[in-house]
Amino acid sequence: MATLDPIRQMQDMARGAADAARKAGAQQAAVTAARVRTVEVEWRDGRLERVKEATTRGLQVELYVDGRYSSVGTSDLRPDPLASFVETAIVMARKLEPDPFRSLPDPKLCQGQSKADLDLVDASQSSLTAVGRRERAQAAEAGARGVKGSAAILSVTSGFSDVLSESFRIHTDGFEGTRRGTTFQISAEVSVKDPDGRRPEDWDYALVRHLAAIPASESVGRAAGERAVARIGSKKGESAAMTMVVDSRAASRLVATLTGPLSGMALQQKQSCLEGKLGQPIGSALLDVADDPFLPRGLESRLFDSEGLAARRFPVFEKGVLRNFYVDSYYGRKLKVEPTTRGASNLAWTLGAKGQDALIAEAKEGVLVTGFLGGNSNGTTGDFSLGVQGYRFRGGKVAEPIGEMNISGNLLEVWKRLVALGNDPYPYSRLRTPTLVFEGVQFAGV
Amino acid sequence: MAMHGMGRRKFMKMSGATLIVAGAADLVGCATAKPKADGPSAGIRYFDRFGVTEPLLAEVLAVAMSRGADSADVFFQHRVSSGLGLQDGAVNRSYAQVSLGVGVRAVKGDQQGYGFTEDLSLSAIIDCARTAAAIADGPARLGPQRFHVEGKLPDRYPVKVRWEDVRPEQTMPILSRLEARALASDPRVKKVNINFGDEYGAVLIADSSGRIVEDVQPMTRLYLQCTAEQNGRRESGGYNVAARAGLEYYDEDRLARVVREAVTRTTILFEAVPAPTGEMPVVLAAGSSGILLHEAIGHGMEADFNRKNVSIFSDKIGKPVAHPFVNIVDDATLAGARGAINVDDEGNPSGLTHLVENGILSTYLHDSVSARHYGVKPTGNGRRESYQFAPLPRMRATYMLPGPHSKDEIVASVKKGVFCSNFTNGQVNIGAGDFTFYVKNGWLIEDGKLTRPVKDVNVIGNGPKVLEKIDMVANDLVIDEGGWTCGKDGQGVPVSQGIPTVRVSSITVGGQRKA
Repeated sequence: MATLDPIRQMQDMARGAADAARKAGAQQAAVTAARVRTVEVEWRDGRLERVKEATTRGLQVELYVDGRYSSVGTSDLRPDPLASFVETAIVMARKLEPDPFRSLPDPKLCQGQSKADLDLVDASQSSLTAVGRRERAQAAEAGARGVKGSAAILSVTSGFSDVLSESFRIHTDGFEGTRRGTTFQISAEVSVKDPDGRRPEDWDYALVRHLAAIPASESVGRAAGERAVARIGSKKGESAAMTMVVDSRAASRLVATLTGPLSGMALQQKQSCLEGKLGQPIGSALLDVADDPFLPRGLESRLFDSEGLAARRFPVFEKGVLRNFYVDSYYGRKLKVEPTTRGASNLAWTLGAKGQDALIAEAKEGVLVTGFLGGNSNGTTGDFSLGVQGYRFRGGKVAEPIGEMNISGNLLEVWKRLVALGNDPYPYSRLRTPTLVFEGVQFAGV
Repeated sequence: MAMHGMGRRKFMKMSGATLIVAGAADLVGCATAKPKADGPSAGIRYFDRFGVTEPLLAEVLAVAMSRGADSADVFFQHRVSSGLGLQDGAVNRSYAQVSLGVGVRAVKGDQQGYGFTEDLSLSAIIDCARTAAAIADGPARLGPQRFHVEGKLPDRYPVKVRWEDVRPEQTMPILSRLEARALASDPRVKKVNINFGDEYGAVLIADSSGRIVEDVQPMTRLYLQCTAEQNGRRESGGYNVAARAGLEYYDEDRLARVVREAVTRTTILFEAVPAPTGEMPVVLAAGSSGILLHEAIGHGMEADFNRKNVSIFSDKIGKPVAHPFVNIVDDATLAGARGAINVDDEGNPSGLTHLVENGILSTYLHDSVSARHYGVKPTGNGRRESYQFAPLPRMRATYMLPGPHSKDEIVASVKKGVFCSNFTNGQVNIGAGDFTFYVKNGWLIEDGKLTRPVKDVNVIGNGPKVLEKIDMVANDLVIDEGGWTCGKDGQGVPVSQGIPTVRVSSITVGGQRKA
């Protein structure tokens, strides 16, 4: 078995399941077979802490039976249980109430895939060794322990991991698609002793498609160490409305509050504060974002989406105006609109000209938010409330660390206060947020 | 290990809010047990059908110990989760997921090697054992020479109607009736979404001491969400319940409560005024406010963080951390609770652990690795999401015992503050101690009375400081029935929580309005 090409194995299994579904009475089916190989090494305070290595496999089957819909999956891939699994699922699906909006996506939407080379696979993964992985994790600790103020360090945990993901999708109406991708991650977490008894921590990591693009382990460790040491002595600041500069790494949390209300399901279920706002300004003219599935080596790059729709680039916000929602084919039918795609791929922001330091110098007074803690948002109304930590800045310079604070507002209002973006998209998240600057944000503290 | 931007933050959320992927009885072709064979594997009940025998376990554990590990264990899991969804007036979607796999762990001191596979052939499992064994690098140690099957587990999942025997014809009408009742109960309700899920299956743990434990683990969840409209405004809300129980769990009282709570929690949002901002006294309602304990102290008491010296509670055992009437426990024994377990995922007995006893910090939550590190007995907190993960110290049902005050007395004592009724999620930085919890519904307290509703506000505090500031505890303990899932190191595990009404003398409320 081990010598067979894994893609070929997945294709055989997926085709077999699709055939079984049709024979058992499904008019349509989509099958995805997936295989993920992961190796993780964790290093802590001078020695190996954990190693983990595994290859996981699974099959997902979407069934369309007599106008009814069921989605089932299994990791039990022995031939007999698999065949009976599909048959049983069809028997169960027949008991459901019908749903006239369910079917495979229109084949036209699946055709015309881009021929772009997304460059998502790094073949050098197979040359990594156990020792090599360990040395990468170990070097991150060395970087952390080399920072100024490292005497306060209590513990450093670092890690290296690499993943090869492969999947094959087939629809009974002819669509077939294969996806392959590698990722490599280096990370470090550092805990430091604050004289008041607290043990603040911070971290840094890099996540890339190609090993050659991964930064030196030492630099990741150093960034984590510097961030943690800088947290010492953090205090709760005053409750006030202030300018908020959001670090590019943290900004993804804020952007994530938009993904719920942008979804077709939220629209159709009357749970979106953005309903009816297509073509209207939601943010300031600086909010200019596209969904870009074709970014070479992008973390969420793809030629087709999770239901097989051919990927395409489209604007989400243009000069602040809402241009598109994320609508899959099911909710597209319910809403009587053309689907875009089920979920976001990579975001491409129209960037500003300046870096974070220059933006802070310009803003003069306010809070630099470097991390969010908990909180939530109400997609139906747009209200949000999020815990924050970071630094006060005064006279255009970063000053004392602050923590145990909160920001709150409404999505329909806060993006209109976006007054600047950095030139620094964060490369290790698919949301690729730059530093964001908002005016007049309500902070809660003392 | 894979941090993906989470750092060492731990969080909890109401799992009802995500679609439960789950299915149907008999989804596994071989669900019918073969007749029991006599002989050396006669004690293996559930996993016998998958070909798990004592000789197989012995061989795997011998390989896991072959490079000198201190101990090793094998974790088999079979889980069949099923789900039904109602949307736009019809029960028109079903989900099912079968998980079958095995993980092998080798432990050397604090160091752990782990491998897993979905392929239950001996050669595939041996490969995992080799991967795990490589954490050590010394002469082989012996695997178990004989096995002892742990036959006397507690019975904390009192199931009458097993999910294996339940058909969609029984559950679909429940969902349809719930929707009809929700729509009929208030004309403002325009959309209803219901997700129902159940799970059955078992785990088997065999370790290098020769212990074999099997536990059959049921679970069920129901989440009703609705969207209401009033004068052109919309609000969404919901209610969910979860338990280790069978179909009988959904009795008339519970179903009526699900509808009532979901609808009232949604429609009251129309009356809400903006929450105040800044530090103020906060009263936490009995029940789901137990999220405060989970975030403010529970995670910080998980012994792996203390073994690594990175918890804010690392040097506080035996020291006073709260008023003497504050008692906090983590409990595996609440029959039927979502956080209940008969045995932990390392095969250790799991009971009740005192985190805080009469205001004194008492005991960490241990798995076997941290227990060996500290030279104490494991507390039965070694848990994992699935066979794909090595166990970690995790909470079960975390709650505060009743105290000397009454709810009325507590509310009456606050001149100006916030009363928090229910919650959706929370998160903590376990070293700095800062934590948050998100209040979906609450009330303003003005001159000792609940006056106007508030909503959608995050509360943020620091664990040890907030524990000290719990200065009143009522006698009305409620264990919340919601479907909470705790996240740590990328693993989600089911938990419960509870608390009596308590007062926190001062904490930061993240509202939109200057107090």
